Amino acid sequence: MRTGRYLLKRFIYIIFVFFIISILMFAIYKSLPGDPVRMMMQDNVKPEVYQQQYEATKKMLGLDQPVPVQYIKWITNMLRGDFGYSTEYRRPVKDVIGVPMRNTVLLNIFSMIFVFLIAVPLGITTAVKKNSVFDKIVQVVTIIGYSVPGFVIALLAIYVFAIRFPIFPISGVKTAGFTGTGFAAFLDTARHMVLPVLVMSVGGIGSITRYVRASMIDALRMDYIRTARSKGLKEKVVVYVHAFRNALIPIVTVTTWWLIGLFGGSVVIESIFLWDGLGKMMITGLNQRDFSVVLAMQMFYVILSLAGNVLMDIAYTMVDPRVKLEN
Amino acid sequence: MKKNKKSTMGKAAQKMLVGGMTEEQEAVLTPIQMVFRSFIGDKIAMAGVCCFLLIFLCCVILPVFLPIDMYYQDVTQANVAPGFGMLKVPGSLAGNAKQLSIGSTFSVGIDEKGNVYEWGNFPTDKLKKLPKDMGKLTQVSAGLDHIVAINENNEVITWGNDRMGLSSIPVEMRMGETPVEIYAGYQFSLALTDKGRLYSWGNSYLVDIKFPEGVQGNIKAFDANNDIVIALTNDGEVVPLTKKKTAYSNIPEGVQGHAVDIALSDESVAVVTDDGRVYAWGNNLKKSCDIPEEIQGHAKVIEGGRFHYVVILDDGSVAAWGDNTFGQAYAPSIGEPVKSVSAGYYGSYAIGESDKAYSWGLDGYLMGTDDFGRDVFRRLLKGGRMTMTVGAIAVIISTIIGVIVGGISGYKGGKVDNIMMRLTEIVSSLPFLPFAIILSAIIGNSISETQRIIMIMVILGLLSWPGIARLVRGSVLAEREQEFVTAAKALGVKEWGIIFRHILPNVITVIIVNATLDFATCMLTESSLSFIGFGVTEPNATWGNMLNSARSATVIEKYWWRWVFPSLVLAISTISINCIGDGLRDAIDPKSKER
Repeated sequence: MRTGRYLLKRFIYIIFVFFIISILMFAIYKSLPGDPVRMMMQDNVKPEVYQQQYEATKKMLGLDQPVPVQYIKWITNMLRGDFGYSTEYRRPVKDVIGVPMRNTVLLNIFSMIFVFLIAVPLGITTAVKKNSVFDKIVQVVTIIGYSVPGFVIALLAIYVFAIRFPIFPISGVKTAGFTGTGFAAFLDTARHMVLPVLVMSVGGIGSITRYVRASMIDALRMDYIRTARSKGLKEKVVVYVHAFRNALIPIVTVTTWWLIGLFGGSVVIESIFLWDGLGKMMITGLNQRDFSVVLAMQMFYVILSLAGNVLMDIAYTMVDPRVKLEN
Repeated sequence: MKKNKKSTMGKAAQKMLVGGMTEEQEAVLTPIQMVFRSFIGDKIAMAGVCCFLLIFLCCVILPVFLPIDMYYQDVTQANVAPGFGMLKVPGSLAGNAKQLSIGSTFSVGIDEKGNVYEWGNFPTDKLKKLPKDMGKLTQVSAGLDHIVAINENNEVITWGNDRMGLSSIPVEMRMGETPVEIYAGYQFSLALTDKGRLYSWGNSYLVDIKFPEGVQGNIKAFDANNDIVIALTNDGEVVPLTKKKTAYSNIPEGVQGHAVDIALSDESVAVVTDDGRVYAWGNNLKKSCDIPEEIQGHAKVIEGGRFHYVVILDDGSVAAWGDNTFGQAYAPSIGEPVKSVSAGYYGSYAIGESDKAYSWGLDGYLMGTDDFGRDVFRRLLKGGRMTMTVGAIAVIISTIIGVIVGGISGYKGGKVDNIMMRLTEIVSSLPFLPFAIILSAIIGNSISETQRIIMIMVILGLLSWPGIARLVRGSVLAEREQEFVTAAKALGVKEWGIIFRHILPNVITVIIVNATLDFATCMLTESSLSFIGFGVTEPNATWGNMLNSARSATVIEKYWWRWVFPSLVLAISTISINCIGDGLRDAIDPKSKER
């Protein structure tokens, strides 16, 4: 009951934040250089007719109305799923955005899985074998992992895996002229995905391993662990069930932030590997002054991070029933 | 001191009280000192401090000695591999040199027996393929990527780059004329014959030679640069071989009719007259016209490099002036009279009476050059300065905002807290990198370079304060319930006083640790922004935008120095800063060390 009320409160709050940010976005959108009316009009118009046509186009775009009305119109369209018209692709943004979004989500989900498969067991092992040589090595490697910027790792990965040993392709989502379908197509995309996923994962593995380790060490020091051990439980059960469950809260927090950052950070990685995703699309949109696309992209990121906040709260209650969702 | 005088009984009792700690330590160490000691003892953190200080000091101090003009580009020096030895005359030539000539990044020389030697960094492998049966050489000249030579049979030979007509030596030159002087330039070659006629071949688009009447057939000497060829006639007249009026045609008075030797740099002309004076005119951006006063009246022979001149004086010593970026203008004192000098690009050679070769100027690049011929090492130093400045100022901005917002919010509580925290949440909901990219793309369009850099700092600062604000708020919340705050309140200390004088010093450690870690993050973000072209832009260097041009597979494969060095310093700096931050945190909070 309480959880439900909290979530409702939280949801209302998110809507509030969303509107504030959307006003901010709209303000930025309005302050962009260039006259959208002139962009829509043909150049070869006679001067006499020009003013008339200009007014007509302005009216058609709704720019003759006061700014608040324009905002309300824009946000209603946004919420309906009408993100405007892309001048670069000459199609509605709604139709252009599908494939890149799929590609970005694909990339991020794979890196997420990859990071968890490595970081969580590694963190637990190093926590259990605290201060061993293995632990020390992992500590050093992880600090390097999260300190070195993604694009440097990308350059290194390209050098090693694409130039020295040409194993993986370095650009695009699929091989040019590739016609296979089904599983063959998936395999082709997977081959292209290896390097970006690898590069995106390094930073995540570095930081999440450290967080898992720290919170596991805290958990392993608790009295209930001693109790569990003295009960004669197997060490595996003690570590993976009793300790790990209690170590999850900080992990959930850092994971959510990392995930949101992952989507934002993939801008750089996508532009290096020419991965046809949202990040690359945003950069192209900015360079081509295709602002409808950019704005839609931005709103996507905002919704993503707001949703991330709520998911984090829900995840808290799931991993630890003691947490009450109130303040 | 009093404590030491107490009885052993008292000492024992005290030992028990402080839990086994020796009393000296207890008496001496303040919390800050404890933190400091613990930090000093942390090997990883100290290694981080050393690495970071080294990089920091290099970036601050070295640019003073290794200046670089950010706007300067030179395609002739593009993509030179790291290393030295461009001026290192081979041992077998050094003692019996006859003539030496400097090309873009390599040199060529001949010894007394007419054998040819090449050394330095070759822009094309064709330079290493010497033509067969060329016999003994009597004169050589090196250009951008080709070499021209004369052999004992008075034949002109060329090798190296053979495109743009560089290999098609004019036939008419061989009709009863003997070449006496040759010149290899930027994609063109020149030869002067004993009949006073000048021939040119190669790319004719770059330098258009037009002979004024009566000049061809009457040329005694000549020199050329990338724009123009200037001839010296048998009558001692200086004649620019062009129809256009340029800075080179403003010949000063007292030169015409008296000139004995001529040399060109890339921006000016210098002429030695029969009374030993040197006249220089043209542009003077690199100080190539600032002739030292003490050589006037003593000059005999002059040679010109890219932006410097070298002269032999009547006492057999050499003097040099002009651009001194690579030490070209520091002529060494040579212990013997000098027979001949040669200058080209950024280096100079002198040959003494004993046929010994001396050299000074650009010997190589420590970390190579980029695609615009800019020294990677010098840009790295400048870039480091920029990256660190941007990072530091961004952190200062974000820390100030964070401390103010977090401090007020934590201390006031209630509605203020609520509003401030909502604000914090809104800012932290903004997707960082995409938002920074958009802001920089929109604002950065219409502003100058400096404003752009300031804008990047402000954007980074304005977007990254929520983290620190939350932390400060948390610590202030804990601190404000302490007794000393109640006491301060009771004494009537003003609220601002309580926040900033009483509470803040207690949370300063948290702030410092966070600022350190944020510094690394800001450096990374700035680099990422610059890397994709939305941060600090060319010609200003940062570690991020130096890597921008290294994104293509060709660069990664062939010109490794262009991405390895910037990546390496960037990585080492951020790793060290993170190590320092971690070390500080461990030192301040001993509990975290047990982890």
